[in-house]
Amino acid sequence: MNTARTHRARATVVALSAGALVLTACSSGAGQGAEDDQGRKEAESQRAQIAFGDAKASTGPAEPVPDATPGGTIKVYQRDTYDHLDPAQIYVSDEGTLSTLIFRRLTSYHLDNKGKYTVVGDLATDSGKSTDGGRTWTYTLKKGVKFENGQPITSKDIRHTFERTFADFISNGPTYVQRWLADAEGNEYRKLLPGGPYGGKHLPDSVLETPDANTIRFHFKKPVGDLPYALAMAGYSVVPEKGDTKERYDKAPVSSGPYKIAPGSFKSGKGMSLVKNPNWDPNTDITRHQYVDKFDIQFGVSYPDSTQRLMSDSADNQTAVSFNNQVDAASLQQVAATPDIKKRSTSGYQPYVGAINFNMKRLKDKKVREAIAHAIPIQAVLDAFGTPGGGELAGSYISPTLTGHKDIDPYGKLKKPMGDVEKAKQLLKEAGKVGMKLTFAYTNAPEPQKYSVAIADNLRKAGFNVQNKDLPSDTYYDIIGKVDNQFDIYPSAWGADWPSALTVIPPVYDGRQIQDNAPNYSHYNNPAVNKEIDRISQLTDQKQAAHDWFALGEKILKEDLPQLPTFYYKQIQLHGSKVGGVVNNDIISSVDPTKMFVKK
Amino acid sequence: MLRFLFRRSLGAIVILLIISAFTFFLFFAAPRDPALLACGKNCTPDAIAVIHKNLGLDKPVPVQYWLFMSGIVTGRDFAVGHCPAPCFGYSFANNDPVWDTILDRFPTTVSLTIGAAAVFLTAGVGTGMIAAWKQGRLIDKIFSSSSLVLSSMQIYFVGPIVLALLVYNLGWFGQPKYVPITDDPVGWFLGLIIPWFVLSLIFTAQYTRMARSSMIEQLQEDHVRTARAKGMTSRTVFFRYAWRGSLIPIVTIFGIDLGSLFGGAMITEYTFALPGLGTLAVKSVQNTDLPMVMGVMLFAATFIILLNIVVDACYAFIDPRVRLS
Repeated sequence: MNTARTHRARATVVALSAGALVLTACSSGAGQGAEDDQGRKEAESQRAQIAFGDAKASTGPAEPVPDATPGGTIKVYQRDTYDHLDPAQIYVSDEGTLSTLIFRRLTSYHLDNKGKYTVVGDLATDSGKSTDGGRTWTYTLKKGVKFENGQPITSKDIRHTFERTFADFISNGPTYVQRWLADAEGNEYRKLLPGGPYGGKHLPDSVLETPDANTIRFHFKKPVGDLPYALAMAGYSVVPEKGDTKERYDKAPVSSGPYKIAPGSFKSGKGMSLVKNPNWDPNTDITRHQYVDKFDIQFGVSYPDSTQRLMSDSADNQTAVSFNNQVDAASLQQVAATPDIKKRSTSGYQPYVGAINFNMKRLKDKKVREAIAHAIPIQAVLDAFGTPGGGELAGSYISPTLTGHKDIDPYGKLKKPMGDVEKAKQLLKEAGKVGMKLTFAYTNAPEPQKYSVAIADNLRKAGFNVQNKDLPSDTYYDIIGKVDNQFDIYPSAWGADWPSALTVIPPVYDGRQIQDNAPNYSHYNNPAVNKEIDRISQLTDQKQAAHDWFALGEKILKEDLPQLPTFYYKQIQLHGSKVGGVVNNDIISSVDPTKMFVKK
Repeated sequence: MLRFLFRRSLGAIVILLIISAFTFFLFFAAPRDPALLACGKNCTPDAIAVIHKNLGLDKPVPVQYWLFMSGIVTGRDFAVGHCPAPCFGYSFANNDPVWDTILDRFPTTVSLTIGAAAVFLTAGVGTGMIAAWKQGRLIDKIFSSSSLVLSSMQIYFVGPIVLALLVYNLGWFGQPKYVPITDDPVGWFLGLIIPWFVLSLIFTAQYTRMARSSMIEQLQEDHVRTARAKGMTSRTVFFRYAWRGSLIPIVTIFGIDLGSLFGGAMITEYTFALPGLGTLAVKSVQNTDLPMVMGVMLFAATFIILLNIVVDACYAFIDPRVRLS
């Protein structure tokens, strides 16, 4: 996922998602300074604890939210409309947050009242049982799980859910499981079941097996350690075999969660209402509640607008929230400085890590790349996104929200965040490249326009002949995504889909993935790294895999430096004074709607 | 009159065809591929080819244009079902039927436009006439200077200030919103009162200035002087002789303004988060959503052209010297 700070997927690369991370600050109240440090420490300790839950950990109902009372309506302000309601087409965080209320999948993340996350069985009795060295995974459905129309959810529905993702009309959602099942790269997986299941064909039992009405068995060619994470993605939420209307399902999906879409209420660009689903049984669900009678969602409310509305806490806005709108950068100071507003805020990490790419096809001398890295003022990059609360300076490619993260700073950037021009000057001199031309591309969005001045200034002082290239933001990733782009350095951001670096290191640093529009923007290719990626991808020991991924990321950063990490993205969100149970959920990069209630 | 309407209608169709062709071909000149918006994380050339086929972008551009235009007249068949005429297709971004979306958004825009137009037309023309009537006096100076200040204001500046003051700080009004008049007439009125006020504020100032100068100009016309020379009262001269003539430029500009607003008051809709055609147009352009862009463009252009025809027809009623032939 690249376009950090936008929820809308620019899909070639964007991944957004439901995925990422572990908990950090699930407490209320936007943190800053010392509070940030505390949140960070909590996050680090909890990160190590994320586990794949057993049947006991997956059994509902969810523990009650303190002081929660049932009833009432919550207004929800959203900037963007939901482009897709068919779960197989969901890959952006806005829809991902919505999906926690209306869709269920085989696994999910349970966030308990202490802020601890566990991967649990959602429709399944547990997070999955693997055999055959991680090549076979078996899931059993819970008893009593139903769709909104009362129809029981069976293994045939689960099989259909995965088989339909092979159809050509499904193009926006995740493809991890399909590619693992087909053992294929890119779009090749579609050949396993061309057109999907609609012609009466099914995946063979040797790939996806449903021996009885409650059992589903995945057979992979290679070991898959991250399946419980992947299955928790919104994109793999259950779709009924009877009732799948193909392309039209995108406008009228069938709910399986605690809420359903009020019939006829969804108006693209205007709004929608969610009402209680009477066929959702809380005893089957460890992750969700059904306190609120109704959610009234309004689209088209910009970040500054929702910030003003929620800061005012006027009569209309006391029972309002936004699932995904953040506090706009210009208002961060006011939120931090006003106790009454600050106590109605939540903060947390987003899965994105910002970086400045070095085009490895053009900048072949590592000393030059090091000189650039030392010169770049990463504090200026962060400041452009708003402080306090817009993010945290980064020392590695792996976000603090991922298992295995450690604090490192191999180039001393955290100690000298405004850049070390003298060191850069010295390195450039040693490389014999003083005065070399350096093409610096960035988007014409407000933030890059701010920080590009400071970056170019430091680079010039270090001895580079900097040529700035201001690119249109709507085509930016298309342009820098070209393998033969004519730029030397350019920023991007990438985020994980779940709390493992499997969704970061391979897409961004695997040299075999270099092609137009692929997210390996620095065109980095190191055969030794590629080989290591293959090895770690097949580890089934999650702890070992997390350790090895981080070690590989650190090695890439230290030895090859294809990118300079700049900052870890964070967000602050507001809510009205009469909305309770508002906590940040780092997994969905937003507040958690399943715990909300209206205060009496 | 009928000949006039027939001739102008034919002209309107030609203009709409030119606009449609211009918009359609200009879209493909842009360096952005809409398929990329619908391509997942691991987007490959193969995946893009599949999406091109799904969206119909695999056909030559002239063929796509022909299919689009013929769909408006005859309807078209898509994977999601038959799209009856007038069929503008389905959104690239979210598969919404374009025509239904436009019809869904239009009442918001109409409500905003008609309410604001009623205010700025009566208040603007009224104050402009008074200023002309009392030319050179204190009231004229107050109206003239106020209109100068207000016409320099911008909606994106005034709107948030009015919101902060009247809604967030004083709490005199609720959050602006659109409620269909058929559901709740009072809610419709109260929800739009602030957007009407803000939108009409800027327009009122412009119409004040225009009405004043137009009336002053009329008051210097020969037929007005003749009427005065014949001993008619100032009131009679003002309302019977000068007023009608002064309306010509106002009606012309009002027709254009109304047509443009029916196509979407983008900034006002965005400022108050009103789901009208303006916000739809902006979002469609941002999303490289060709069918939606085409639909909104043609819909807005139709209104501007229609209202121009109406304005031309009105000239004959306002000024007998004008002959439609």
